[in-house]
Amino acid sequence: MGRDPGTLTVPVGLRLAWLVPAGFLAIFLIVPLVALGAVVADPALFTAFADAQLWSVAAQATGQALISVALTLVIGLPITALLYRVSFPGRRALLALATVPFVLPTVVVALALRTLLGDVIDQGLALVVLAHVYVNLAVVIRIVGARWSRVDPRTTAVARTLGARPLTAFWTVTLPALRSSIAAAGAVVFVFCFTSLGIIAIAGDGSVRTLESVIVRRTAVLLDFPGAVAAALVQLAVVVIVLILTTRMSSVPSRGREVIHPGPTRPSVRAAVLVGALTVTVALLAPLLTMAIASIRAEGGWTLAWWSELVAGALGVGAPRDALLRSIGIALVTGVIAALVGGLAAASALTHRLGRAVAGVGLLPLGVSAATLGLGTLLAFGRAPLDLRATGLLVPIAHALVAVPLVIAAAAPALAATSPHRGVVAATLGARPGRAWWTCYGPVVRVVMIAAGGLAAAVSLGEFGAASVLTRADSPTVPVLIERLLGRPGDAPFGVAACLSVVLMVATLVLVIAIDRLGRRRGVTP
Amino acid sequence: MVRRFIGLAVCGLVLAGCSSGNPQGAEPGSTVRLLAHDSFLLSEDVLASFTEETGIEVEVLAGGDAGSMVAGAVLAAGAPTADVLFGADNTLVQKAIDAGVFEPYAAAGRDQIIPAIANYLDTDAVTPIDFGDVCINIDNAWFEREGIAPPTSLEQLTTPTYRDLLVVQDPATSSPGLAFLLATISRFGDSWTDYWAALRDNGVKVAGSWTDAYYSDFTPAGGDRPLVVSYATSPPAEIVFAEGTPPTQPSTSVLTDGCYRQIEYAGVLAGAQNPAGARLLIDWLLSRPVQEDIPLNMFVFPARSDAALPQVFTDFAAQVDDPEQIPAPDIATNLDDWLARWGEILGR
Repeated sequence: MGRDPGTLTVPVGLRLAWLVPAGFLAIFLIVPLVALGAVVADPALFTAFADAQLWSVAAQATGQALISVALTLVIGLPITALLYRVSFPGRRALLALATVPFVLPTVVVALALRTLLGDVIDQGLALVVLAHVYVNLAVVIRIVGARWSRVDPRTTAVARTLGARPLTAFWTVTLPALRSSIAAAGAVVFVFCFTSLGIIAIAGDGSVRTLESVIVRRTAVLLDFPGAVAAALVQLAVVVIVLILTTRMSSVPSRGREVIHPGPTRPSVRAAVLVGALTVTVALLAPLLTMAIASIRAEGGWTLAWWSELVAGALGVGAPRDALLRSIGIALVTGVIAALVGGLAAASALTHRLGRAVAGVGLLPLGVSAATLGLGTLLAFGRAPLDLRATGLLVPIAHALVAVPLVIAAAAPALAATSPHRGVVAATLGARPGRAWWTCYGPVVRVVMIAAGGLAAAVSLGEFGAASVLTRADSPTVPVLIERLLGRPGDAPFGVAACLSVVLMVATLVLVIAIDRLGRRRGVTP
Repeated sequence: MVRRFIGLAVCGLVLAGCSSGNPQGAEPGSTVRLLAHDSFLLSEDVLASFTEETGIEVEVLAGGDAGSMVAGAVLAAGAPTADVLFGADNTLVQKAIDAGVFEPYAAAGRDQIIPAIANYLDTDAVTPIDFGDVCINIDNAWFEREGIAPPTSLEQLTTPTYRDLLVVQDPATSSPGLAFLLATISRFGDSWTDYWAALRDNGVKVAGSWTDAYYSDFTPAGGDRPLVVSYATSPPAEIVFAEGTPPTQPSTSVLTDGCYRQIEYAGVLAGAQNPAGARLLIDWLLSRPVQEDIPLNMFVFPARSDAALPQVFTDFAAQVDDPEQIPAPDIATNLDDWLARWGEILGR
């Protein structure tokens, strides 16, 4: 990692920190997969690999994911610069807004995009890619932004003083500093698009496919488990290759402290910033607004009927208030678990090879088919002798598994970019190793873990798949209620589902803004 | 929050009421776990009546969509994640029976089941609880406006009059989509592939899910397709879920030709921890109060012949006299091949 390990003694506690993520992953990732593997082990598995369709879908999904990543980066990086390098009124709110599409249930996003763009863009690859960009912008913004905000502006200032044009300064100074975080964000987005399911089903025209869609079809329609496992293994292999490649790309990081430029002073620049911010806001808001409008719209005019129906009990599919409280509770537990497990994994990666291996394994849930993991969890922890469903813990644990890779992807580059000098100085002045380490990394760890935990909590708020399988039916989350409503015909179910979507958006916004504030209050002191 | 969840679970166990013995020898105070799909819904007081009558608490476990739920049950065959499974339909049930998922049980009240429903499967492994017909729904207002007569047969859908008017669902991702494919196979036999080629050439649109087709593509929702694959009970649902005062007539109707009959089954899971309670629960699901509660909650018909239907059903639900069906073993054998050939025809 480009650092002399001899200069800062790693405290004993931290040397053992890898045990926490390792234990968590062993129990909740490896055990379910082994439980599933034990049931579906079948010689037919080998012939399933010979299926030509499997490989053509893998190739097609790779192409689709690469296009989606490229476009997400092209659109996401300027927005990241806007949000993390320049100060303007409403910056924090816009940052929170950008997170909302990522965490809304995909069925809601896809329906909103079809409502908005249905007349302009036909269902198919283009709409799928667009939906992927819209949903995954938050990944680029959050992961690259965490790094970009710590690029010391003096480096570009020096380059500019030496005569470099702004673009040259960006190309030669800023971009190299961002390389590892761009690689990390690109890898995460690639994996999301490569394993996408809900968006493929609604925004696609059926010719766009992913291995995940093959897995679900083989599992839930054909009950062909060897075929499903073969597809799951190919998917996992591609994801592992991508993660290894992008980890290699991570280079020597540069270090700095968080700096947000003061608001631009030149009127022309200030106007440009405001226009940019406004454009981004409108683009982000438009699909969300279609849902807000649907929530107060009925045939022949405006109405509050759906909202009063929501308050009255959401047509009997479940109490919305309880579902909201439940979703928030699950989100908070998820945030804590994911921040702890992911944060410790990222910190362990700093200390020794074993820690780096654990952090690598922590990225794996990205590539493990959600359908596969759900079934495995059910077999391992959904029946005697160990039935954890009644504890209500399985859902936050499943959500944490999904979120841990995001936490690692966000935390590892920021930690690696932190200079150990302050710790070395503290140690020289007589601080114990633990104290010295915390002096150096503590502030970064706090900020990064709060931010990453917030992202994990937000992911949990909108998650549908695990919550629809691993709970008691009388304790639905908000996304599960939305799906239940959207499964019935009539004006009211759709209207009430739109209301619940608005509730979920607002809850997400509030959560993200609150966590950002928390992170700021405990912010890094330079 | 975690404590809250544990607290809820414990409350559920403790609150079980008490009553004296029952024919199955199930223990009052015990819990029976019902694994059900997303669409399972009964009125709260009806659900509570089982506990009042038997002293046994019911815990309903979410199984996701019907397909995922059955897949999980097959993988866990013999060491199940619940005591009773509700909601395996006739496209999947045969594979689950073959995998030994169910413990045979002849439910009390079985002789009251509508003969056509009872006779579809000749087994005690599972008990039919409800049924519904997947049919093409028609936006009456659109056809009136355009001055075109709505279709009355499947064959008409391949004619130029109905070009670009139909949206169906992908049978590989949607349960009504699969039912409609089966309806065409039942109707047209080996030439079903020709029928689908003609549908394709006549501009049929394929959506990923029922929600997507009904709420994006169907004309009442602002789409451009006035014909959609849905259920025979969608028109009454539209009345029940209308805003304000219910309309006197639904704005949609049903093409009763070429409907596919879906039957939903419940069964005692082999290896259940509370088999006696599970058998009682099957009897209860087939009892008249539950059967009469089913229509307005799940929008399907009760399997019992003597269950009274709500008026909105007798008024507006389409009566399908001669639905299409394919024997369950044939589906189990051929489904993979049918889906592959359908995919080739539609280029998916």
